[in-house]
Amino acid sequence: MKRPIASTAVISLLILVMCLLAAETLIVKVQSTGLRKNPKFYAPVLVNLSAGDKIEKISGQEGWLQVKTANGVVGWVHSSAVQVQKFDLMAMDKSMKTQASASEVALAGKGFNKQVEADYRAGHPDLSYVWVDKMILIKVPASKVEEFMRQGKLGEFRGAK
Amino acid sequence: MNKTKILALIWVGYFAFAFLTSCSVVQQGADVLGATGQISESDKQAIVKTSQAVQATFAEITEEQEYYIGRGVAALILSRYQVYDDPSLTAYINTVGQSVVYFSDRPEIYAGYHFLVLDTEEVNALSAPGGLIFVSKGLLRRCKNEEMLADVLAHEVGHVTAKHGLQSIKKSRLVDLFGIIGTEAAKRYGPEELAQLTNLYSSTLGDVVDTLILRGYDRKFEYQADTLSVKFSAAAGYLPQGLVDFLQTMVGDSTAASAKGWFKTHPSSEQRIEKIQTEAASLKDGLAGEPIRTKRFQKAVAGLK
Repeated sequence: MKRPIASTAVISLLILVMCLLAAETLIVKVQSTGLRKNPKFYAPVLVNLSAGDKIEKISGQEGWLQVKTANGVVGWVHSSAVQVQKFDLMAMDKSMKTQASASEVALAGKGFNKQVEADYRAGHPDLSYVWVDKMILIKVPASKVEEFMRQGKLGEFRGAK
Repeated sequence: MNKTKILALIWVGYFAFAFLTSCSVVQQGADVLGATGQISESDKQAIVKTSQAVQATFAEITEEQEYYIGRGVAALILSRYQVYDDPSLTAYINTVGQSVVYFSDRPEIYAGYHFLVLDTEEVNALSAPGGLIFVSKGLLRRCKNEEMLADVLAHEVGHVTAKHGLQSIKKSRLVDLFGIIGTEAAKRYGPEELAQLTNLYSSTLGDVVDTLILRGYDRKFEYQADTLSVKFSAAAGYLPQGLVDFLQTMVGDSTAASAKGWFKTHPSSEQRIEKIQTEAASLKDGLAGEPIRTKRFQKAVAGLK
């Protein structure tokens, strides 16, 4: 009986260590975002990133993170757009390989999803989604926000003459 | 080593698993241990059940699900209110909102933040989960400058970043939801699971809409959203005083007696003003009002019918 207990403890410790080591890999959790040239929302976008994309963290903690894509492009993403990759314990247990999954990614499309919304809407034919869809399409280009902030002396432009 | 100690150790190991891995992994782990005879069937069930209950909090709702909840809540809000369709005003509100969002603590969410004006004289602002935010025409009429609008929007953005809407979902729904997610590998559901999920989705939307429109958030959430408004707006360069000025317009208002919208669902303005002023005191340095902001605000709302 002693050996399984010892191995449980060792495995738990190993997982902990591997989770710490794996902290360098991040996964995009928002539908889409940009890998930006500088740590600003209105900086030029180098590459577009989508939910599930893996990137490697170079530096930064909260706020802006400097990262590298699988193709080697280096740029910045906001920390709220990504999550730290979690290891899938069972995948490792089965193959002893360092396979990984992230909860947002592993759960992508599960639970309340497009299919559930469609079923709900079929049961509520009077409920209109026209403006909901229109609302989602409202996007203010980052360059416009930058101009707006510059003009209104907001953000980094405050106190500017 | 006695049996109790052994059991305790196994539990400790499994709690570590529960924190480090997902629900479905705990299920698989329990299956493995169950199959090797290290734990009994009832222990296995208990482990899976405990892990589901532990994880059944609003924080475990993925951003994608938050988005779908938000879409449903927004559709229900829009079944009660008409949209005030003025493209240039909508663009202006969205630009002010986005300027605040950039300085919030969750600027990136699944499908971004979006703002709409509701065609009602009722003074109200509502934020659906996932960043779908509504302000009423009546609220805009009370704002005299961009500061007031930006600070009110920052309050609503605060509700979204702190996931206050999701926190109004009943715990039992989350336990059921995570139960289905944890046991079903499929992303496309069969008729039975789909019917269960759609029922849950419907009740979940009901929980959030009831809180937003009828009951109002818990006072502590309103105060927290005020605190976040001060933080985000000051970081963006807006004077937090805008929120105080807005709330001042509500003090002693006779229409408050009709108890609609904001009046019904928010704590008294006097109490909030005092708290905001204390919090804003340390953040005023380097912030200044800008006549150009007031000018563009006045231009944007000039055509308000």
